[in-house]
Amino acid sequence: MVEQVATLPSSREFNPWPVVVFTCLLVLAGLFLAPTIGVILSSIKTTREIAEGGLWNIPTRLFLGNFVEVLANPAVHRYFLNTLLVTLPATAASIALGVLAGYVFAKLPFWGSNLIFLVLISGMFFPPQVILIPLFQFFNSLGLIDTLWPIIFIHTALGIPICTLLMRNFFATVPNSLREAAILEGANEFQVLTRVALPLSLPALAVLATLQFTWIWNDFLWPLIFTQSDEKRTIMVGIVNLKGQYSVAWGVQGALSLVASLPTLIVFLFFQRYFIKGMTMGAVKG
Amino acid sequence: MANLILKNVSKTFGETEVIKAVNLEVSNGEFVVFVGPSGCGKSTLLRLITGLEEVTDGQIIIEDKDVTHLKPSKREVAMVFQSYALFPHLTVAENIGFGLKLAKVPKAEIVARVKEVASVLRVESLLARKPRQLSGGQRQRVAIGRSIIRQPKVFLFDEPLSNLDAALRVVMRIEITRLHQNLQATMIYVTHDQTEAMTLADRIVVLNEGRIEQVGAPLELYEKPANKFVAGFIGSPAMNFIKGTVETADERMFARLGPHVMEINKPDLKPGLAIEVGIRPEHIAIVAPEEGTLTAEVEIIEKLGVESMLYLKTEASQDLLTVRTDPRQTIRTGERLGLKLPVSECHFFDQKGNLV
Repeated sequence: MVEQVATLPSSREFNPWPVVVFTCLLVLAGLFLAPTIGVILSSIKTTREIAEGGLWNIPTRLFLGNFVEVLANPAVHRYFLNTLLVTLPATAASIALGVLAGYVFAKLPFWGSNLIFLVLISGMFFPPQVILIPLFQFFNSLGLIDTLWPIIFIHTALGIPICTLLMRNFFATVPNSLREAAILEGANEFQVLTRVALPLSLPALAVLATLQFTWIWNDFLWPLIFTQSDEKRTIMVGIVNLKGQYSVAWGVQGALSLVASLPTLIVFLFFQRYFIKGMTMGAVKG
Repeated sequence: MANLILKNVSKTFGETEVIKAVNLEVSNGEFVVFVGPSGCGKSTLLRLITGLEEVTDGQIIIEDKDVTHLKPSKREVAMVFQSYALFPHLTVAENIGFGLKLAKVPKAEIVARVKEVASVLRVESLLARKPRQLSGGQRQRVAIGRSIIRQPKVFLFDEPLSNLDAALRVVMRIEITRLHQNLQATMIYVTHDQTEAMTLADRIVVLNEGRIEQVGAPLELYEKPANKFVAGFIGSPAMNFIKGTVETADERMFARLGPHVMEINKPDLKPGLAIEVGIRPEHIAIVAPEEGTLTAEVEIIEKLGVESMLYLKTEASQDLLTVRTDPRQTIRTGERLGLKLPVSECHFFDQKGNLV
């Protein structure tokens, strides 16, 4: 009986749609993965192999010389340190400011606060190129060109809108009665934030930490504009700098690219479980 | 001694006046219930006492100290919220000890006091759990625990039982009564449920549209309502109201109720005055059709076991009259009955709803 049901003609009819969909998805996955695969392939070949066989050849043996060269290069150490010196404070500062502003917008609204919130959020829609020249002139007049300070300030400022938006929306889901209960228990507004609202907002904080860290770490534009000397370059600009004077060092650049993407990967893996929770937050109760 | 005094307390939100010059004195250890329909301002009044809302006008005094402009935490009041408002990321013990920890009480003392409170509320075995692992009744107990640990001068309850099912509500009601007896503390309790109000209160404050309609002991409100609102609000099923006019004949006074008349003993009423006669369902006596003040036809019978409710159609009133009867009486729907309204049990209201 069971077999008969299973072999009914209607259930055996060929449905082409899943095949079409899966083919499209496979092609897209291939397209998206291609650059990464190219980088991996080039990083494990010698320059001679690349010159003879091109980027896409599968190498006959694993060559780790590029990685050794990259990791032993003191300039690369400097790039990493500089990137950390920019990314960590800018991530922390933008999230801290977003938390404070988001809490006020969500829990302590005042006359006109919605308008201020909208103005603040609209900051997200300005392309950075628009403010590039004024900012350069501004920091130039302060004498901060070729330091890391402008990059830290700019990333902190650019991060405030998204941090404020996300934190405000998350704090809005924290019931008002929790705040009031804490206040009746003797908490001041800052203690309500740190002891009640923030511990409940770990998913949002994890999302922001991952996003901000990745964006700032991977940024190319601002360090390129504001730094000139090699000692002040960050990792993304450094990758470009690594190319030789007369030839392109594909292998070394590939290896550095992979090493440079490790920190963001680690940050993502670290916050991953919160990240997924945060992305679906508010979708379902509980 | 008065523990809590409200003097001309008013509150306006924008243009709307939600609390209108409320005056109230609550004695030490008293259990006072604020009751009224939704939107009557009872929760707002509670929030004014806590300080979560600022008064627009008037004065709040707790134990001889003017707290009108003090911060909520300085007023020494504690509140149990309708939603429990437990901190989801903290354990039961941390929830109960939250206020003490903020006040930087030594750790050992916090542990000892949390244990003591937990044993009073029988939640000792739950101290390590998070709120989401508790049932509704347990959460409510923890919320009460958090409020009693700081030994506040006034306890405030904002509809604490409305999220619980009917059976648990009865259990918690008894627990709250027991707690009040043990602590001998001043408690103010907000509810829209008049059964809760009647069973818990030493005194009930009936609120309507931001004003106090009447303050009194439960039975006092039931038996001597000051106006039609209180008469209709307190008691379940509600009091019957029949519209009528005052008439005189042969120097005797009557109330004309549709085609019927009943003799009343109210010499101060002027003939021609439009009145409403209020009478509770249990005070209407069923007699033979020819003997009654009113005649009525039975439309619906609700058998509740301990009693039966008759809903009767009369010529005296558009609304059905409710009569509470013995369940063993053999009355059928459609049957014609006579109704006797004892004048001593009737309440007379003028058109504004005031007692006359």
